[in-house]
Amino acid sequence: MSIILDHVSHIYEAGTAMEFAALKDINLTIPEGQFIGLIGHTGSGKSTLVQHLNGLLAPTGGNIYYNGADIHDSDFNRKELRSKVGLVFQYPEHQLFEIDVFTDVCFGPKNLGLDKKDVELRAYAALKQVGLEDEYFYQSPFDLSGGQKRRVAIAGVLAMKPEVLILDEPTAGLDPKGRDEILDQVAKLREETGMTVILVSHSMDDVAKYVDRIIVMNRGQVMFDQEPKEVFGHYKELEEIGLAAPQVTYIMQELREKGLMVDTGATTIEEAKNSILSALRRQR
Amino acid sequence: MGIIKTKDLVFEYIRRDEEGNVEGITKAVDEVSLNVEEGDFVAILGHNGSGKSTLAKHINAILYPTEGTVWVDGMDTTDENKLWEIRQEAGMVFQNPDNQIIGQVVEEDVGFGPENLGVPTKEIWERVEESLKAVGMYEFRKYSPNKLSGGQKQRVSIAGVIAMHPKCIILDEPTAMLDPSGRREVIRAVRALNDVERITMILITHYMEEIIYANKVFVMDKGRVAMEGTPREIFSQVEKLKELRLDVPQVTLLAHELKKSGLNIPDGILTTQELVKALGL
Amino acid sequence: MLRDITLGQYYQTDSVIHRLDPRVKLVTTFFYIISLFIVDNWIGYLAAGLFLLAVIKLSKVPFKFMVRGMKSIVFLLLIAVVFNLFLTPGEPLVTIWKLRITKEGIRLAGFMAVRLVFLIMGSSVMTLTTTPNNLTDALEKLLKPLKFFKVPVHEIAMMMSIALRFIPILLEETDKIMKAQIARGADFESGNLIKKAKSLVPLLVPLFISAFRRANDLAMAMEARCYRGGEQRTKMKPLIYRKRDFLAYGTVVCYFAAAILAGKILW
Repeated sequence: MSIILDHVSHIYEAGTAMEFAALKDINLTIPEGQFIGLIGHTGSGKSTLVQHLNGLLAPTGGNIYYNGADIHDSDFNRKELRSKVGLVFQYPEHQLFEIDVFTDVCFGPKNLGLDKKDVELRAYAALKQVGLEDEYFYQSPFDLSGGQKRRVAIAGVLAMKPEVLILDEPTAGLDPKGRDEILDQVAKLREETGMTVILVSHSMDDVAKYVDRIIVMNRGQVMFDQEPKEVFGHYKELEEIGLAAPQVTYIMQELREKGLMVDTGATTIEEAKNSILSALRRQR
Repeated sequence: MGIIKTKDLVFEYIRRDEEGNVEGITKAVDEVSLNVEEGDFVAILGHNGSGKSTLAKHINAILYPTEGTVWVDGMDTTDENKLWEIRQEAGMVFQNPDNQIIGQVVEEDVGFGPENLGVPTKEIWERVEESLKAVGMYEFRKYSPNKLSGGQKQRVSIAGVIAMHPKCIILDEPTAMLDPSGRREVIRAVRALNDVERITMILITHYMEEIIYANKVFVMDKGRVAMEGTPREIFSQVEKLKELRLDVPQVTLLAHELKKSGLNIPDGILTTQELVKALGL
Repeated sequence: MLRDITLGQYYQTDSVIHRLDPRVKLVTTFFYIISLFIVDNWIGYLAAGLFLLAVIKLSKVPFKFMVRGMKSIVFLLLIAVVFNLFLTPGEPLVTIWKLRITKEGIRLAGFMAVRLVFLIMGSSVMTLTTTPNNLTDALEKLLKPLKFFKVPVHEIAMMMSIALRFIPILLEETDKIMKAQIARGADFESGNLIKKAKSLVPLLVPLFISAFRRANDLAMAMEARCYRGGEQRTKMKPLIYRKRDFLAYGTVVCYFAAAILAGKILW
């Protein structure tokens, strides 16, 4: 399983006064099992990009390949692709509509044409994967808390058994604990299933702890595509495009400037602490 | 008495099941007493469902207390004769930028409040101009709100409140739906209005980096005020905040971890500069 | 991108027509349409055509924007013409199989076509030169007498203007929910009518919930900003007639008289 984007561009309203190039010549390879952070500010093209990965939008130029097959070939099964590449939109709880949680999660697998037993098994497994307790299964989704609703919506996509899971701003509007819970759950899920996960966010702080690769988008182009440490090293350029490196990066840079020989590549609190402690020890 | 004061404020709502039978009573706000002085910048923190929004809606007389009293500039919010005066003096900005802009053009939206107050036409224009300038949105006055970013929309909403000449503005999670640059824009505008115009600000949020500029912080949990103090006093209690489903800024957390590892660092570090100093660099 | 849809297709530029009081434009459009239906001879239509052309010229809106509005009614236009052409009794000119084209038929079909084209163009001029907001203001002012009959004129105008503000937002929302459900395997296209109607449930339920949530939020935001109906409310942009508006009214009266009388006298 891999996704390849070959010179992909997308122009909205081509030929009119409102013509707008949302994606410009994107070349990316997304191999199996990677945990990717896709970062960019609002309007950078990241949402447009992810909608290309499951064929919701078709590129106006270039090709997209899934396992070597062009997804816009006439004989390509795009419906199946949508189950293989699961896309969780921003505020996904706004798409819930069924009378109870369980029925809502069944919607996806039912659309795949599975028999009732399989549908229910998948829905059950998906709800367990997002850590929702059994007592909520037969409640109306609208009676749940914000964080719970979001889990149900994510389960609705997981029940399709995707190979690639894309989450667009999964933590928007959640409180700090809710944010950590969702992200931890996603990380755990990836560990258990080995699926490819793409986390779309505008916050470096959120993704720094989890991902092995960061793709930074700006004005419809890929600006950086590297390991987190390397990307954060460009913190000055990131600031120019309205993004910021994690706060830890700034602290470490500042300490280094003040003469403490810390590792400026530290991205988590744990790494930063250890680096500072050992630098202080060396100094003495 | 301060500009906003609550005494033993309780707000209960009745939960009903599908047939409409009473299931139970939830206390969204429970015995809250607080006092906000004129010119203060107050932050109210709390996780989702802690009662902070319900509390905020009492200050603007959208909700009324089940028990206890709320005073805005000395006026009891249950006094119907004062209702419009209260809403004019204590303006409110809400979370969703799309759902609070009424006008189809930026300037018309800002003029909506003054129109409702019956301000003469000429003065409405003056107020709209000064309010849009105060939040740095004057050049967008002829735009359709649909063409603005989230941060810009929220600044328009703030201008719409300022145009009513309030003494106090309550901002109910104004940044929750914005991206980092939008959040910065809004907080910058809020701070400037507090500094320059001396408008009392009550900011409700769960983003920790937004409250370090406040001079007073209330942390809510289960409808009650669980913690109260300056940002430094609040952030000194890392463990307690975590129990309340909250966070501290990364630099505070790092300082806290370093302290736990045996370094001599004071509690409640708020900025990188303070950490640098504490490490003796 | 759906947010860029401008309802009524307002064309931003500065012209005499743009600056006219919206009430003038509304009243003019109304009388223009009436004149189109009263007039029944070519001289009258010539007058109507010249008047329209002059207004379009003055409005500085490119002609192609006027024509754009026509596309949606081409079908209607064809039907009207065909019906009039073949079904009008009178002196036969050509007979193809069972269909007869009469002299009267050609005349009526021609009138009908001109009428429809002028009608659409005439109302396009109004919507292209007037913001939807101005239009609602004008409606509110013009319908004010109805208040006497307990018609909530202010409230209706406020509802219209709020609807205009939220339509693009709800369109975008529809697009988003639709995509989200397609991502979950929903199919909005295939199947018979019943299946299609059923497939709309996952779209409509979330859409209604969202619309109600927005309505609730908006009502709260309006109350918080001291909205209490139309009483004692002032206007930021009150409608005031200026000299040019009276001039315009005068011109319209002249046109109206000319279009109707010209035919009667000269024909």
